[in-house]
Amino acid sequence: MSSIFYIYSMSFREKSAWISFYCLGLFTILWLTHVARVEFFRAPDNPMLWFLGTLLAVTALEIGLHVWVAIQSPREARTPKDERERLIDMKASRVAFYVLLVGAFASIGTIHIPGTNRFTMVQCLMGSILTALLTRFATQIVLHRRDA
Amino acid sequence: MGKTLQNNMRRLRFDHNEMTQQELADRIGVTRQTVNAIELGKYSPSLEVAFQIADVFGVPLDEVFQYGNSTRSRT
Repeated sequence: MSSIFYIYSMSFREKSAWISFYCLGLFTILWLTHVARVEFFRAPDNPMLWFLGTLLAVTALEIGLHVWVAIQSPREARTPKDERERLIDMKASRVAFYVLLVGAFASIGTIHIPGTNRFTMVQCLMGSILTALLTRFATQIVLHRRDA
Repeated sequence: MGKTLQNNMRRLRFDHNEMTQQELADRIGVTRQTVNAIELGKYSPSLEVAFQIADVFGVPLDEVFQYGNSTRSRT
């Protein structure tokens, strides 16, 4: 019961961060499954077709959920971000930047691992981008709940 | 114990016909959650927002915000 009140007490921006976090999490799980299928089971697949198709589907889901939340609280959705929300965005982006930086360097480092190829490097880079974005949304959620 | 920014916003809202956080938020152009965070001392507003809050209540800035020792810990 308390979780219902918790959801109702959320601001539009926090709900938006939750939606983005869940949608990106879903995409990450699908992407990991795809990479495992290609890497370990050598599944015949068109990677670009899979990537674009999944990306479009998840983006459509995210837009749909945002529209639904905006209909629930239209006034908040129309209101521009205030100073606290902008500060939360900046802090979250700063944390995500360091995650991306470490991930990018680690991806470059894969060229020194024997047996790795361009596919591994690209997937490591993709993993870094997804981790950085997940970190950004997670930090936004934490800061919305705590303070700025 | 460190010094923190304290405020009398809750009392001032009560004194102004029990103004809600949403009403105050609408008048100063921020969200209700931001007003709540300021009131609880979790967020220190910018000088502009602080002056706007004082303006809404029609009191000097130092009647709304004080800088001093607090018994409440910042989360």
